[in-house]
Amino acid sequence: MSIALDQVTKRYQDQPVVNDVSIEVGEGEFFVLLGPSGSGKSTLLRAIAGLTGIDHGRISLHGRDVTHVRARDRGVGLVFQNYALFRHMTVADNIEFALRVRRMKAADRRERRKELLKLVALEGMDERLPGQLSGGQQQRVAVARALAHKPQVLLLDEPFGALDAKIREELRRTIRAVQRELGITTVLVTHDQEEAFALADTIGVMNHGRLLEVGQPHDLYAQPATRFVATFLGAANLLLARQTSDGIRFGATPVDAEGAEPLQAGREHEVVAVLRPEEVEIASNRDDLRSNYIARASVEEIVFTGALERLRVRLLDEPSAAQLLGSSSEGDARLEITRTQHDRRGLPLAQGAQIAIGARRLHVLPTPLSSFLACGATEVDAAALAREPLLESLSTRMKTRVGLRAIDGLTGTPKPFAGVAAIAAGPDAAPTVEWLLRHGAAEVLVLPRNAPSPTRVFIHWTDEIARRATLAVAASLLRHVSAEAVYLGIVPESRPGSGRPAPMRALLDARSEAQQTHGLEMRTELAIGETVTELTRNLSTGSAQMLVLGITDITQASSAYRSLLAAQPGWPVLIVYRPTEARAAPDLVAPGTAA
Amino acid sequence: MKNVGQREPNVIPGFGITLGFTTFFLSAIVLLPLSALVLKTAGLDWSRFLEVIASPRALASYRLSFGASLVAACVNMVFGFALAWTLVRYEFPGRKLVDAIIDMPFALPTAVSGIALTTIFAGNGWIGQYLEPAGIHVAYTPLGITVALTLIGMPFVVRTVQPALQEVQRDLEDAAETLGAGRFYIFRRIIVPTVLPALLTGFTLAFARAVGEYGSVIFIAGNKYMETEITPLLIIFRLEEYDYAGAAALGFVMLSISFVMLLAINLLQVWGRKRLMVSR
Repeated sequence: MSIALDQVTKRYQDQPVVNDVSIEVGEGEFFVLLGPSGSGKSTLLRAIAGLTGIDHGRISLHGRDVTHVRARDRGVGLVFQNYALFRHMTVADNIEFALRVRRMKAADRRERRKELLKLVALEGMDERLPGQLSGGQQQRVAVARALAHKPQVLLLDEPFGALDAKIREELRRTIRAVQRELGITTVLVTHDQEEAFALADTIGVMNHGRLLEVGQPHDLYAQPATRFVATFLGAANLLLARQTSDGIRFGATPVDAEGAEPLQAGREHEVVAVLRPEEVEIASNRDDLRSNYIARASVEEIVFTGALERLRVRLLDEPSAAQLLGSSSEGDARLEITRTQHDRRGLPLAQGAQIAIGARRLHVLPTPLSSFLACGATEVDAAALAREPLLESLSTRMKTRVGLRAIDGLTGTPKPFAGVAAIAAGPDAAPTVEWLLRHGAAEVLVLPRNAPSPTRVFIHWTDEIARRATLAVAASLLRHVSAEAVYLGIVPESRPGSGRPAPMRALLDARSEAQQTHGLEMRTELAIGETVTELTRNLSTGSAQMLVLGITDITQASSAYRSLLAAQPGWPVLIVYRPTEARAAPDLVAPGTAA
Repeated sequence: MKNVGQREPNVIPGFGITLGFTTFFLSAIVLLPLSALVLKTAGLDWSRFLEVIASPRALASYRLSFGASLVAACVNMVFGFALAWTLVRYEFPGRKLVDAIIDMPFALPTAVSGIALTTIFAGNGWIGQYLEPAGIHVAYTPLGITVALTLIGMPFVVRTVQPALQEVQRDLEDAAETLGAGRFYIFRRIIVPTVLPALLTGFTLAFARAVGEYGSVIFIAGNKYMETEITPLLIIFRLEEYDYAGAAALGFVMLSISFVMLLAINLLQVWGRKRLMVSR
């Protein structure tokens, strides 16, 4: 491995800006770190360069552990967004800077400089001052300067940020060519997905300090695992669907979808499906569609963008139709469609036209958290709960909706629950959780009033059967909050000392499963004592903490864990329930852990 | 010919009025007194003029005035830079206070600082009592004059270098570091050249201020004949003798030397700025 990051964490004032990031970049690979501003990508790049120290983890370059090596001894070349050229030196002096530091002979320096200027197509500019060059030329000089000392790794921090579109593309091509020619391992940081697609062998997407997904551009685009990646890499429509025993359905309409996993233990559940704008088919009526029908819609907006026509349509309410997740607020759920000029000529549309839409290709996200359903004794209580800051920020970040449901008296047979049921913490919470779980809810979020966004999330399950589901839920949750994940293993005190290795191993297994299956980097801690006491003790150590609790027995919720669900002192608890019958399902038992 | 007399409207209005005001202000406040000085000097005949300005006493005073000012400005350039560096680069308790104290010499009446310095450095003063036995005499020597001139010139250097240091992008240092440069190398090759124009400006201001300084020096200098007499003091002497032409002649010499030196430094800066700022 050319660059290996192992659980790198960087905090500013206790807030993690880079959170447990592990990356491996192969020899000669062009790796693009993509993320919105503030996602921690630049901090991570600076950490690789050695300009920022890290609080936790290891960094190695070409097999050499450089975690504590100074920047100047790491052998990296770094290019900045604002070029950072030495303005009082000529182009020649800038490029030769690293060589002069190394006391290279003047003749050798000149030779190397000529070579580099040729590489970046700036021959003859030697005696210019940076101020006499255009932005694009300055950045070329910066690239040449960063390569002068033959670094093993080239790092580029938003190198095209300050350039206009045309020069940007030209420089992009130069950098790609230079990288190919030298075969140098390169990491580029950008917020521009187009740039990432154009340059990367591999893209790593970051958000809230976490590395969400790593993959080849095409795979990430076609099969994202998270809604953030789905919506950040290109445009995406997110739809709520139900996974039933005979496949994915929108209401009553079955559709084909990629990525859908087989149904677990016969429980229908809600899933999130990604529909790319270019995969939407439009026809004047349902029978003319060649792909799966989704809904009827009316055209609200048509924008001409040159090669493509961009449409925004409103889905017309139909019980059998798809439910759309709005990208912003719930009332603003519009489906985005793009189509080629060829398609446009086939079916010209005007604003207000009624059309039938179908999905050529749907991709189901593996996330277990689809939407929220705020439950209260009355609609008013439910609405108040839905306005809780944590629930509001979670649903916004997850680009999902919060439904409302009145569950007065906990009697009768309710409509089936979809998504995560949310209830208020308090003395009634435990029986309510039990009732919800009995009536089909699989995840219940118990919220104390005004809970802050967590900075640390504890993960615990009472039975190994709930492990996979709990990890999946925790991973999904942690993609949307910038908190660190800590798995808490608890061993009863009565257990004889000889039994210790088993829990230790379970701890390590849990960590590697979280990492490999769910892409979740988590810390592990082992506590000895009684479960509820230990959980309470750990949750009490900080102000903004949260618990994800996997259980297999409904009555546990109302009896043993009652005290955890109290309003005071109060911390959010997300209960993940997987019934014991699921033991029969083979895919729930990971190899090596059945014992 | 409709366009005759119509000018292209300027982006910022009021060019005529501002130029007029500038010219008037400069004439009334700066040029007029200076011309008066030259005119007064012209009242002397050539031999008398030479006698006044080239007398051994006058020559000694030039050496002292310009020499001490030059030394003080150099000292300020080094320590003022260090002060500015500390204020810009480090966070420490009391930083704001130190920042405020820097300006004190601006506000203090120069006579007060002169008396204070004399008190401290005199043979029985707080610091003087330890220095005198060691053979270091500060009060009533050229060294004392230099100390006083350093004090009043210090804020000029700090206040000009401070913003320049703030503007040195951290990226430049980071870039140099990834290229293999050590801290001292970065300081010498990147930071100093970048703030050099500002440092020169600070030096010029401190020097100019020191040359013209009178109040604070008079007290600590002791004004010994041919030894600690600065040129402004000689001018005062002439005035007390009602020899206005002689005073003007000395003033004219100071003015000429200062002008030449300031012009040289300014040209140096213009040249430096051209190297740095082309089409920035």
